[in-house]
Amino acid sequence: MGRIQLKSVTKSFGDIQVIPPLDLTIEDGEFAVFVGPSGCGKSTLLRMIAGLEDLTSGDIEIDGEIATEVPPAQRGLAMVFQSYALYPHMTVRKNIGFPLRMAKMAQAEIDQRVETAAKSLNLMDYLDRKPADLSGGQRQRVAIGRAIVREPAAFLFDEPLSNLDAALRVGMRLEIGELHERLKTTMIYVTHDQVEAMTMANKIVVLRAGVIEQVGSPLELYHKPRNEFVAGFIGSPKMNLVKGSEAEKHEAATIGIRPEHTDVSMTDGAWKGRVGVAEHLGSDTFIHVHDTGLADMLTVRVNGDISVKHGDTIYLTPQADQIHKFDAQGMRI
Amino acid sequence: MSDRKLPRLLQSPAVILLLIWMLIPLGMTLYFSFIRYVLNNLRRPEWTTPSLSNWRGFGNYEFVLNSKDFLFAIQNSLLIVCSILILTVVLGVLIAVLINKTFPGQGIVRVLLISPFFVMPAVNAVLWINMILDPVLGLQGIAVGSINDMLDTLRNAPLVGWFFSLWPELEPISFRATQTSAYAVIIMVTWQWTPFAVLIFMTSLQSEDQQQKEAAVLDGASIWSQFRFLTLPHLARPIAIVVMIQAIFHLSLYAEIEIVSRGNGNKNLPYLIGEFANNNIGAASATGIFAVILANIVAFFLLRMIGRTLME
Repeated sequence: MGRIQLKSVTKSFGDIQVIPPLDLTIEDGEFAVFVGPSGCGKSTLLRMIAGLEDLTSGDIEIDGEIATEVPPAQRGLAMVFQSYALYPHMTVRKNIGFPLRMAKMAQAEIDQRVETAAKSLNLMDYLDRKPADLSGGQRQRVAIGRAIVREPAAFLFDEPLSNLDAALRVGMRLEIGELHERLKTTMIYVTHDQVEAMTMANKIVVLRAGVIEQVGSPLELYHKPRNEFVAGFIGSPKMNLVKGSEAEKHEAATIGIRPEHTDVSMTDGAWKGRVGVAEHLGSDTFIHVHDTGLADMLTVRVNGDISVKHGDTIYLTPQADQIHKFDAQGMRI
Repeated sequence: MSDRKLPRLLQSPAVILLLIWMLIPLGMTLYFSFIRYVLNNLRRPEWTTPSLSNWRGFGNYEFVLNSKDFLFAIQNSLLIVCSILILTVVLGVLIAVLINKTFPGQGIVRVLLISPFFVMPAVNAVLWINMILDPVLGLQGIAVGSINDMLDTLRNAPLVGWFFSLWPELEPISFRATQTSAYAVIIMVTWQWTPFAVLIFMTSLQSEDQQQKEAAVLDGASIWSQFRFLTLPHLARPIAIVVMIQAIFHLSLYAEIEIVSRGNGNKNLPYLIGEFANNNIGAASATGIFAVILANIVAFFLLRMIGRTLME
């Protein structure tokens, strides 16, 4: 079980309130991702759930019981840190077994649980090595192993992949996803990378300056962003936001159109512009279009085999049913 | 000139200087230890100048080994060094952990804590033995005297007087005495060198990874477990450094021993060398060679011990 509820939780450092009253429920078995730009309070929020940071006011409930005053170790949560936070003087075996040893479990049982965890994480060959002798991905797996053996009510991940190189990151993302499918345990994952959020989450919590901007499934956020911030944050490349007369035609202060929802033609279309940089990814090509008179730059995503040159004239037509409209306050209409 | 010669040539001044620095004193000590060489001898004036014709073989070594103070000096050297090491490391770790947290007045406390290290050894010894440890005029004498006065008053008090009359009168300890002068040296050197240990441990504690601590908190580690499994292993290397440096320094203690009791009941090898060197340079040199051997043995075992217990 691992249902976590935050009830008007706030956090202040001195006079500065970094998290205004915030309510959130994470259901048992959910994979929730807190995502937002750096400094938005997502890590603070996670540390408050873990108990490493005190609440200024409000309550945290775990499985319906108020856990605000419960010491971190007794909340039944396990955390994986960005720096892995492995104990450098202990072998992998001792690292993974440490929480069990602290819980005064019998040595035979510790050994057995460590072996089970190591097997599932492909760490059997490294059990007697020190963390310093492991690669980044292996260290990350040890950190996850140390969390798994505790059989926690929920896992907390604090940007666990940001110290890994791009290829490893994709691999670990899948492993963590698999882990969640296998264990069905609640997971809360903090990241600034919206790709990680979109690929892993059942529920994404978009945060800005300590305020929840939107909570929803990845596709809800993609198709129905509640405001301009979420619209711009979710999706890659970013949504194009257009203000002014073009927006007024749609009776909105701002309209948003995703790069993949724009038709491109070299001969005619709604908006005329000049090709800037074209990024060829193989399957797709991102074309940055300037001089449309609508925004500094629009990005469109087209089929990979298009041949355009820097400086070519290009015509863009937004797909009418994919236009997002926002009012003057930036809220979705 | 080939590729190898130039770097060697450029290194040579430093290497040669170091060799001269190390080898000449060692060589002279070895040389003197094998000849009869005394500063003043009216019957055998030829012994007063060092010369190979006064060759004595291992005679000086035999003389030193058979002298009544030699074994005692070695035991006493080890007693003093080991006691100081244990005390400074234990106190150093405790104080460093204590002042590692932020608190008001932290800067002043740290400066005050470090300051004993800047007192000269002779001054340190004079201050301790006269002002603090003296059984009559020192703090010790005053403290023991006042406690005795207080006990006297309590003995005459109604109701509880019978209880306190069971207590003995306290006797101040004379730290210049044969039995206690080594302890006086241990106390004053520990006071002086604990700040050194604190300083080294403090800098090391500040480089301790805080996320590891947080991970340990979540893993259910108590304060003691965090100290035992994270902080202490983290401090293993600085402890090794402190032990090594102090072992080297304290094997050659001299000023404190001279000032506390002039070697009465409390000699170490350097002090014995000093006593021999009043006249018998040959015996002093032989003792010096024994001191070098002892220092190497101590260093070897200390490094082994620390390496095994703490680095794991």
